[in-house]
Amino acid sequence: MALLRFASLRLLRGLLTLWFAVSVTFFLVRLLPGDPALAIASPTMGEDQREQILADFGLDRPLAVQYVAYLGELLQGNLGVSFRQSIPVADVLLERLPWTLILTGSALVVTLLIGLPLGVLAATHRGGALDRFIQVGGVVGQSLFVPTVGIALLYTFGLWLGWFPIGGAIDDDVYGLEAYASMLRHLVLPCLSLVVLQIGAYVLTLRTNLIDALGEEYCTVARAKGAPERRVVWKHALRNALLPTTTLVGLQLGFLVGGAVLTETIFAYPGVGRAIYESVGQLDFPVLQGAFVLLAAAVVVANLLTDLAYGLLDPRVRAA
Amino acid sequence: MSTTRGLGRRVALGAAVALTLVACVPSEPDGASGGESEESGDSSGGGDAGGELAIGTTADVVNFNPLVGNSRTDSWVTNLIYPAMMTIDDEGAKVPALATEWGYGDDGLSAWIELRDDMEWSDGEPLTAEDVVFTIDAVKAEQLGTVSGMIGAYESATAVSDTRIEFTLNRPDGAFLSSIGFWMPIVPAHVFGQAPTVADFANDSNWVSAGPFVLTQVERGQRYVLEAVDDYPLAEGGRAALDRVVFRVYPDVNTEVLALRSGEIDLIGNALPPSVARDVSGDDSLQTFSVPSLGWAHMQYNMRRPPLDRVEVRQALAHAVDYEAIREVVLGGNAVSSNSSVLTPTFSQWVDETAEEYEYDPELSRDLLAQAGVENLELEMIYDAGDPNISSWAELVRDQAAEAGITITLAGLERNTYLARTNERDFDIYAGSWAIIDEPQSNFGLLFSPDGFINYAGVNDPEIDRLLAEASSALTVEDARGPLQELARIVTDQVYDNVMYVEQFTFAASSEWTGFQPKPSELLSVVNPQSLASVRAAD
Repeated sequence: MALLRFASLRLLRGLLTLWFAVSVTFFLVRLLPGDPALAIASPTMGEDQREQILADFGLDRPLAVQYVAYLGELLQGNLGVSFRQSIPVADVLLERLPWTLILTGSALVVTLLIGLPLGVLAATHRGGALDRFIQVGGVVGQSLFVPTVGIALLYTFGLWLGWFPIGGAIDDDVYGLEAYASMLRHLVLPCLSLVVLQIGAYVLTLRTNLIDALGEEYCTVARAKGAPERRVVWKHALRNALLPTTTLVGLQLGFLVGGAVLTETIFAYPGVGRAIYESVGQLDFPVLQGAFVLLAAAVVVANLLTDLAYGLLDPRVRAA
Repeated sequence: MSTTRGLGRRVALGAAVALTLVACVPSEPDGASGGESEESGDSSGGGDAGGELAIGTTADVVNFNPLVGNSRTDSWVTNLIYPAMMTIDDEGAKVPALATEWGYGDDGLSAWIELRDDMEWSDGEPLTAEDVVFTIDAVKAEQLGTVSGMIGAYESATAVSDTRIEFTLNRPDGAFLSSIGFWMPIVPAHVFGQAPTVADFANDSNWVSAGPFVLTQVERGQRYVLEAVDDYPLAEGGRAALDRVVFRVYPDVNTEVLALRSGEIDLIGNALPPSVARDVSGDDSLQTFSVPSLGWAHMQYNMRRPPLDRVEVRQALAHAVDYEAIREVVLGGNAVSSNSSVLTPTFSQWVDETAEEYEYDPELSRDLLAQAGVENLELEMIYDAGDPNISSWAELVRDQAAEAGITITLAGLERNTYLARTNERDFDIYAGSWAIIDEPQSNFGLLFSPDGFINYAGVNDPEIDRLLAEASSALTVEDARGPLQELARIVTDQVYDNVMYVEQFTFAASSEWTGFQPKPSELLSVVNPQSLASVRAAD
């Protein structure tokens, strides 16, 4: 019962967050400097042509009317039609979304697969050379700039060694297993650059929490009972140290999407991030709004799942 | 219990990943799901004898409707499908493409164009004068794209035969035929006429072409595939030599160059930044092409704001810039002087041989300011911070002006902010460039008449207006040249527009291909229809 109430409250909070994100996005894109009609037509258009364009897109109506109309359409699942492409926003985004999911999803999985053992290694070798090396590596990774990492990886592994393709997400005219192999080859470098950039956060967070946990009384008890250190670390301390890391996944998701915008641009990867980047330049409000709704929903859902997982893992959370 | 839940979670996760992967993987061409990919009716489908040319571009196609889309990649792709009646030669003159001949009636109130008689759309329908009439009427009725701003003189058109169109004009306009001939892509009336409005027609599938290639497959964010059309009479041999052209999208130009060097693409369609162009020109496996811009880079001084309304002040500013240093240092020599004239050397039919560039002379600038009684001149200069060339020379302009005692504050802006402030005429100095100003008879009206849309400086000069009227009603180049050259001299003397240079664009391609026909401007580049129809593998 407590869990149900906890879940309902979290769901309500998620919906409120989503509404807030949708509203802020709506007004924010309209605060962008510039004139969408100017971005659509050429600067040589006449005033009547400009007014016609604004009227066609409903941008001549009062902001409040536009907002209510937009929310109404959104509730019916309609994201609108792209100003520039004349096709439904949902089509624009759904074509790009799978690629972003593959890129960010694989980056997250690889980061956790490498980052967690590294965090454990650093914590268990606290103060040693290995610990210092991992810590410095983590901090350096976090402070790198995506285009620098991207071009360095492309130059080395794409052009010089020729192991991986330079751009795109899949080769032409490949099907079945060959298609999966092609996708994987195209995925390696962009995924690696995202991993390099975000792994530090996981390693350093886990290291700190694991060191704290290893000093807790229950670990001392476990050691006193004769449990081997490996078991104390992996079975007892890690389980508790992982809780804050779970929160980090939710928090880092926003960062991951932000990183994907640049990564997709450098690696010519056809994801939603690039659609956002292009739409800002074109002042294509419907696509921008749609993309942000989608991303906000993704982050809200991820956080909701994190919260629920946390509630399941730690009874104290749902009691609160 | 926990094992079951763990297993369930893993299965769910696996299913989600599998679904995502399935969504991305293309099915076989004959498969049920097609996504965005569409197969078109008539294409060669033949073997690989002519090969495939992969072209890099930095942006996606935004809109496949050539009457609406106006981005560079839009034009590159749709120009290969929807033919223009004229193209441009090395001298900047309009020459036949779909049209064979054209001319005006004696009073200038009528005009005619004669088309080739051997053109047809890739679905077998003939391309006739009716398609031209449909296109221009749609542009006028729905105020479509840039062309609608060029046809102020257009009243009506009639297809008097399959190959001849006769136009009625409401005033003489010597630029009318060249403007529509070059800028207006002809669309198939039997396809575009089916849509309720042409403006809303996305044209994103089942393309029908009368160009050398037809679009067959689109994967947004990745590639645009065009197959050669079997029958293209404008190409040598009646068909493009290539089998396939693929545009691949690399938003970052550095990645694009790596792709060219690795062999992933064969050609870069967009102009390379000067520093990259220098690197590429040293690579033996690549060839480069240099073509002039059809526009110019410039500064304009807002004459609505004193003391910029004083000609001495504008001349002082013009003398406070070392143009040659900018062309050599910032552009790496990839630019030529226009002798401070708006009639640039790219268009040899208009150019004024007597024009002279403003000399860099800070002392003279100081004297001119003293004559005008202006002290401590402080101005703000706006420019698009995303333009690497202008961002670089803006700093030189500031430093050189300081030598003449003028303080210039730089305001590098995000592009949309820059456009908005320009449009609102909210600046002291505007720095920018025109991509294409190709028909001075009509375009100079936009630039220098009091109500011109892009008269940023606020030019309001009766003598200019008189010369504009005289030039625009002249029906031959010979008759228009005199008033235009006179107008250009006034613009230079009064510094209504400070023309700094005409950029020379560099494009790069793999040496494995030959037959490119570079044309002026980044819009035509080496990816214009004439060029791509004649490209073939080098021996």
